[in-house]
Amino acid sequence: MKVNEALKVIDDGWVRKPKGFRVHFQKQVDSEWVTEYAPGEKEKALDSDVVAWRLAWKLSEARKSDKSENDDGDLVNIYIVDDLGHPIKYYASNQFEVFNRREI
Amino acid sequence: MESQFAKYKAIGDLIVSQGQDFVLSLIILVVGLIVIKILTKLFRQMIGKFIFRPQMASTVSNIFFVILLLIVVASALEQAGMATIVIRRILIVIGLAVVGLIAVFRPLIPTLPFKVGNTVKFGDLLGKVEATTILNTRIRTFDGKTVFVPNSKILNEFVINYHFTDTRRIKVDVGIRYDQDILKAKQVLETIMIEDPRVLLKPARPTVYVLNMADNCVKLGGRCWVDNLKYWTTRCELIEKTKLRFDQEGIIIAFPQLDVHHFHGDVSPEFPGEEI
Repeated sequence: MKVNEALKVIDDGWVRKPKGFRVHFQKQVDSEWVTEYAPGEKEKALDSDVVAWRLAWKLSEARKSDKSENDDGDLVNIYIVDDLGHPIKYYASNQFEVFNRREI
Repeated sequence: MESQFAKYKAIGDLIVSQGQDFVLSLIILVVGLIVIKILTKLFRQMIGKFIFRPQMASTVSNIFFVILLLIVVASALEQAGMATIVIRRILIVIGLAVVGLIAVFRPLIPTLPFKVGNTVKFGDLLGKVEATTILNTRIRTFDGKTVFVPNSKILNEFVINYHFTDTRRIKVDVGIRYDQDILKAKQVLETIMIEDPRVLLKPARPTVYVLNMADNCVKLGGRCWVDNLKYWTTRCELIEKTKLRFDQEGIIIAFPQLDVHHFHGDVSPEFPGEEI
């Protein structure tokens, strides 16, 4: 195996490099939960998970509510997904984290 | 005496017959220049929305300005009574002369080593070039100050142009304690760099070196390449992730320290030749 081939195997199999990140959240619209992303799926994804997690945290803080009942506009189950739509670990804890977690 | 009188009379007649046209042409010139200035400003703002390269936007608006200026000058001269064909000839001669002068003297004119929109550093000044004129360059620093720097000063200084190359190397240096697992630390640091989407595989893949065995730490150096425009944020975020991931992995980052060993008189030295 040539070195170039070995490097290709490493690139494909060792650490996956995501092509971008989006904030995943669920939003209540007319009493129904709708899944959305920021930036939207047609927009260019963020190239930084740090920025994406910061955006997620700010969204969760902005829509945090102590009320038990759900309101229109509530944003819940906020986390970061990669370009394939898979959740990624929070870089600060190396764990899968969800802000404003709510069972739906 | 009579000839002098005839001369004054001729001037008087000219003012009576052509004075109104001269005043009108002067008004066209002054009002035209004011209107040109306003129109160019509006045009510059408008094309700024469509043309994202500042240098090109500046060139296009300058061409727009010159065309309007020629129209105004031609109109003023025509109003003053000059024949249209003569005006055309004068403008063509002026145009050719300017082009000829530029072609001849262009190689002799020192050029600035940057373009509008580039991020540059000279001396202690770091910022983005907003505009250049014959005499000075307008720099916008990252803390919002506008600095006008004489071009002569720039030409005599070392200038770093951060846009000259597409990519730039990031250094993530971190010192770990001597009792820590070097290989694990190298692996963690390399993984942090590889999994970042902004880190490039060319011109070189991310690598971690053991830089030095310093007084209080083993110094590791992570090196990776990123797009020039993403340098600063990527660097800051890689450093942040390095600290957090090292904490998660239990790798202890060293800090400057000095161990003082105090021996009593009844204790023999630990190393031969050591004074008690």
